[in-house]
Amino acid sequence: MSSTTGVGRTRARPGAFGFLTDTTLCIGCKACEVACKQWNQLPMDDFGFTGMSYDNTGDLGATTWRHVAFIERIADREGRRPARLQPFQSNWLMLSDVCKHCVNAGCMEACPTGAIIRTEFDTVVIQQDICNGCGYCVPACPFGVPALSPLDGKAHKCTLCYDRLRDGLEPACSKACPTDAIQFGPVHALLDRAKARVAELRAQGVEAHLYGDEALGGTGGIGGLNAFFILTAPPEVYNLPAKPELPQRRVLPGFLTSALAALVLGIATVLAFRREKEGHRA
Amino acid sequence: MPELRTWRHRRAPGEPVSAETRESYYGLPVIHGPHWRWPIVFYFVLGGLAGGSAVLAAAARLVGGDWARPIVRVGRYLAFLAMLPGPLLLIVDLGRPERFHHMLRVVKFRSPMSLGVWGLIGFTATAFLSLLRQAATDGLLGRANVVARLARRLPDRILAGASLVPAFFLAGYTGVLLGATAVPLWARNALRLGPLFLCSALSSAAAALSLLLGSRAETARARHAVERVERLALVGEIALLEAVRLGSGPVIGRPLAEGLAGGAFAGARASAMGALALHLLAAVSPRWLGRALRLVASLLALGGAFLLRSSIVFGGHRSAEDPDATFEFTRASR
Repeated sequence: MSSTTGVGRTRARPGAFGFLTDTTLCIGCKACEVACKQWNQLPMDDFGFTGMSYDNTGDLGATTWRHVAFIERIADREGRRPARLQPFQSNWLMLSDVCKHCVNAGCMEACPTGAIIRTEFDTVVIQQDICNGCGYCVPACPFGVPALSPLDGKAHKCTLCYDRLRDGLEPACSKACPTDAIQFGPVHALLDRAKARVAELRAQGVEAHLYGDEALGGTGGIGGLNAFFILTAPPEVYNLPAKPELPQRRVLPGFLTSALAALVLGIATVLAFRREKEGHRA
Repeated sequence: MPELRTWRHRRAPGEPVSAETRESYYGLPVIHGPHWRWPIVFYFVLGGLAGGSAVLAAAARLVGGDWARPIVRVGRYLAFLAMLPGPLLLIVDLGRPERFHHMLRVVKFRSPMSLGVWGLIGFTATAFLSLLRQAATDGLLGRANVVARLARRLPDRILAGASLVPAFFLAGYTGVLLGATAVPLWARNALRLGPLFLCSALSSAAAALSLLLGSRAETARARHAVERVERLALVGEIALLEAVRLGSGPVIGRPLAEGLAGGAFAGARASAMGALALHLLAAVSPRWLGRALRLVASLLALGGAFLLRSSIVFGGHRSAEDPDATFEFTRASR
């Protein structure tokens, strides 16, 4: 948040669609989770209580494509209770997490089968008839979104309701959201709306900021997130990395140092063999 | 079938829930870890062994004289045999093994796994042709039949030169593959893992070859040459192991210092240093002792290659589970 370069900027293409998830409007009803499960016919997860506030979902996964996080900020870093409450939500933070549909997606670049594609809506989708469950997209995502399903062995994640978009419908989660905390639309229009909302919140004294532009969340070659967020606390509090990096940025440098090492080792081997030839002639 | 997801958060007894959400979200992982386990560890070790043997065989064919014939022969057989289980291990590890051929739909230069598939195919081709050529030279294919005559006509030196590139690639790309993920331990060491795996591949292949060449007098010069390569590769390996340890820092490097993966990493360091020390000791020892020391050193180098791959792969699991490490990496990266 210290850097100001790239604030409010994204490399999203003009026709891109995405989500704006405004955590200041979220009431933690989990309608998005339920609507997502219903529409996409996702099986239930482990049924039980986690002991983590009202969050019994825990994490995004192969069968969980929306996850509402609950953060009870009733004490600060030193354990003191806050003297001043945020003017609107009693320091109880809720965030409906989802696949970010990155402008440059690590999962898609990692996929060795071409199963992960960018659609005509500039969303990122795993084609289930292609995926062979190699699992490389899973650690390649800087946000921990895709996961292998133990049920069918393939990788799954949010499709941004590709089937609904094809039919001119908005995604199930944003349709179900009763407070419009989840808004669907063209990324650039949503971004303008988000900037106005952040300015409005700041005027009310709320420390709001955007997560998913090139300054925060969409950093390091990711180029912005098509599904972005308005947060009122540091991203780490919501389990989001502040300045993630596109993992494929390291492919070429990695191959270059390896090639250098191969060259050195090759020369060393040749020299070792040459010395043997001479050494024993004497 | 993998177990259902369970939540293991790290709240100390008596601590309030809010304590967990100050710096991270209940201490839960930020990213999803890989599912790669033993099949991948064994593939990494065997791929390194195969690539390293092919490099040694090719180099021996290109610059070695008659004394280097045993290196060419044993190196080519070992390269092919060590490569054989590789594709099977990779296919077994897939969530949908029957779809392994979907890997052949595309070539993606930014995906080390896609490149790796094609590299493995290239390696298989050169290793198989080298094997045929060697078998024909050794008379294993018979004399007068078509296969033997065709195999004998394969251009030996060109084959050796052509096998160098896929051999080095197979030995090193796995490190680049790990580096191109969001796992903090691997990502932080993205520039070092490829060279480290290359050094380990060459040292383990040289160790295996020196063991296979045996202690006969007619292979003594070949064994000396291979052991010289082993010592050089071990020096590089030790330097890179230290670079990985120190370059990871206290938070991201935690999996290399603690737990089973940490133990394996310490074992890998000790094996590499021990192997090098024994080789040096053998040089100043009487002949009968030197032979025993070199044997132990080669076994240590082979074991070290296995410990290294296990510690890096399983250390990556620990690293992905640690939100502190992820946040350290995503805060510091710019």
